[in-house]
Amino acid sequence: MPDPVLQVEDLCVSFTSGGVTADVVRDLSMRLDGGRTLAVVGESGSGKTITGRAIMRLLPRGASARGRIVVAGREMLSADERELRRARGSDVAMVFQDSMSALSPYLDIGAHIAQAVRLHDPSVTRRAARARAVEMLDRVGIPGPADAVRRFPHEFSGGMRQRAVIAMALVNRPALLIADEPTTALDVTVQAQILALLRELQQEYGMAMLLISHDFGVVGSAADDVLVLYAGRQAEYGSLRDIFDHPAHPYTAGLRAATPRLDARLDTGGERTRLRAIPGAPTSLRDAGPGCAFAPRCGLADQVGERCVVEAPLPTVRPTSEGGGLHLAACHLDRLPATQEVAR
Amino acid sequence: MSEPILEMTDVSKRYRTAGGFGRGRKGFLAVDGVSLHVERGEALGLVGESGSGKSTLARMANGLVVPTSGTVRTDGQDVARLGRRGLRRLRRNVAMVFQDPLASLNPLQTVRQTLENVFRAHGETTSTAELVALLESVGLGADYLGRYPHEASGGQLQRVAVARALALKPDLIIADEPTSALDVSVRAQILNLLADLQRDQGISFLHVSHDLAVIRLYSDRVAVMQRGRIVETGPSDEIFRSPQHPCTRALVEATPEAELPA
Ligand SMILES: Nc1ncnc2c1ncn2[C@@H]1O[C@H](COP(=O)(O)OP(=O)(O)OP(=O)(O)O)[C@@H](O)[C@H]1O
Ligand SMILES: Nc1ncnc2c1ncn2[C@@H]1O[C@H](COP(=O)(O)OP(=O)(O)O)[C@@H](O)[C@H]1O
Ligand code: SF4
Ligand SMILES: [Mg+2]
Ligand SMILES: [Mg+2]
Repeated sequence: MPDPVLQVEDLCVSFTSGGVTADVVRDLSMRLDGGRTLAVVGESGSGKTITGRAIMRLLPRGASARGRIVVAGREMLSADERELRRARGSDVAMVFQDSMSALSPYLDIGAHIAQAVRLHDPSVTRRAARARAVEMLDRVGIPGPADAVRRFPHEFSGGMRQRAVIAMALVNRPALLIADEPTTALDVTVQAQILALLRELQQEYGMAMLLISHDFGVVGSAADDVLVLYAGRQAEYGSLRDIFDHPAHPYTAGLRAATPRLDARLDTGGERTRLRAIPGAPTSLRDAGPGCAFAPRCGLADQVGERCVVEAPLPTVRPTSEGGGLHLAACHLDRLPATQEVAR
Repeated sequence: MSEPILEMTDVSKRYRTAGGFGRGRKGFLAVDGVSLHVERGEALGLVGESGSGKSTLARMANGLVVPTSGTVRTDGQDVARLGRRGLRRLRRNVAMVFQDPLASLNPLQTVRQTLENVFRAHGETTSTAELVALLESVGLGADYLGRYPHEASGGQLQRVAVARALALKPDLIIADEPTSALDVSVRAQILNLLADLQRDQGISFLHVSHDLAVIRLYSDRVAVMQRGRIVETGPSDEIFRSPQHPCTRALVEATPEAELPA
């Protein structure tokens, strides 16, 4: 097996405030090879962004990470500032949901990209860096790139801005791209274009992509493997097909049933079908008890009994479909019942 | 057949703009000669790309935005000709639910105060029992009466916003992206709640969303907007099975499917 581009082992992230320290992410492990896309799926507060930031070593104040993170052979958690500067950009780059926050309103688009080039390699002249910016804008499909480098962020539409941010992230050809909800703020048509662009660039550069999303539709059209997070912990991990067609965790199955699909009504003879909602609301690890964090919302907890409330389930190996690879689920049930009354 | 609950005829809205670019020189034509109706008991879905004029159209339906031209009739009455009392009745009959529940609720008021204010604005008093029943109809317990917005989750707040919309027993609810800001697992709860209100209480809906899959499941008919105009309307099953207009087709094709091909 080739060395993975990203390897995470038992990652925990905690926040300290007012003298109290609490984990918000616990015991995450993942492995991602070049050219592959791993989707991290979860609802708000499940720890998606924090995980992405931990990998970049860009955690907010008061946060600290334990465990092991290896990006392109570099130990990220023990790296010093100089090493981190070198790693960011050439080894790993991140694209955020809100493209405006990644851009300075006072710099033109060209300056943003040129800065990224020169930060990575100070020997590049200003002029050459600017030329790279034009090239890169052209590559991400911005029309009139020679003119576009002189435009300011607010002069771009949301979709164009996201393209510019992608250009900035990829200009140094990182081995790993972390895309945190890269299309959530965009129209469906623009979203489809951006996802297609990311796929294209990924193939061209052979990079690994960690795609953070709450949307199963986006995940289904872009991911090879999927990691489902619930309250800061791994609920399920598997190939896209195993996660979609043979979910082993009640939360995954519940999320799938709660996601509307465009084709869902075709064979119902016009009869209104309803989504199966999961009762209650997502919790964070901080608010979860000692048992399974999903227990208060899980329709199968009664079948298992007290164990769900007192003991947090660890990920265990599950059956895989053909060519499926590793399939893990953290649930005390060995298998989901066929007719899935997964939600209460 | 009885009159539609909402009937808009050839309505346009031109916003005054400082820069003066856009569709037309004198301001920006956000809605351009649209005619549309919502039957009693019907849920009409309004879809279209960002900036196509959906919210502007929805706001004209309950008088929040005044049309530049055209007529809006609710319950058979021409909104432009309503006096003060008529307008007040309009506000009772046509309620609104917005995308961001936190922004649409006063952070300094408890849920009880928020709900009581709705009644007070219409010169009515209410009892605790009535408020509790109202909360129960949206799936919240009596303990929410004393809560402030920051003490509830996004989904719970959207339920409060729906309760506020239901307070005066409206005939029509205009919901502008009511579930876009919510988590996936919570989104379905609110959509099912709105569907129940339509089925059990006969409330009509104008449901604005950019999510075609949501509109397909939860509305009877669909209108597709593009650059201020409605380019296609029809029963939701038909529209999405065989979209006719290029704009509708582009929207359908761009919608990622949460389903793998067999
Ligand atoms: N108060 C205003 N003044 C000037 N222009 C406006 C105003 N409100 C909306 N517009 C413009 O009118 C057009 C239609 O806006 P509207 O909010 O109705 O779109 P929408 O279809 O609801 O979009 P979205 O899906 O992004 O919510 C947009 O181009 C918008 O910029
Ligand atoms: N700056 C911060 N200070 C304290 N807690 C935070 C901070 N940022 C995030 N958290 C907490 O960490 C958890 C995970 O957050 P996040 O990774 O942003 O979730 P997601 O991206 O999945 O919505 C949440 O419980 C959140 O409240
Ligand atoms: S461990 Fe128990 S509560 Fe948790 S998902 Fe499995 S059955 Fe449900
Ligand atoms: Mg996030
Ligand atoms: Mg809108």
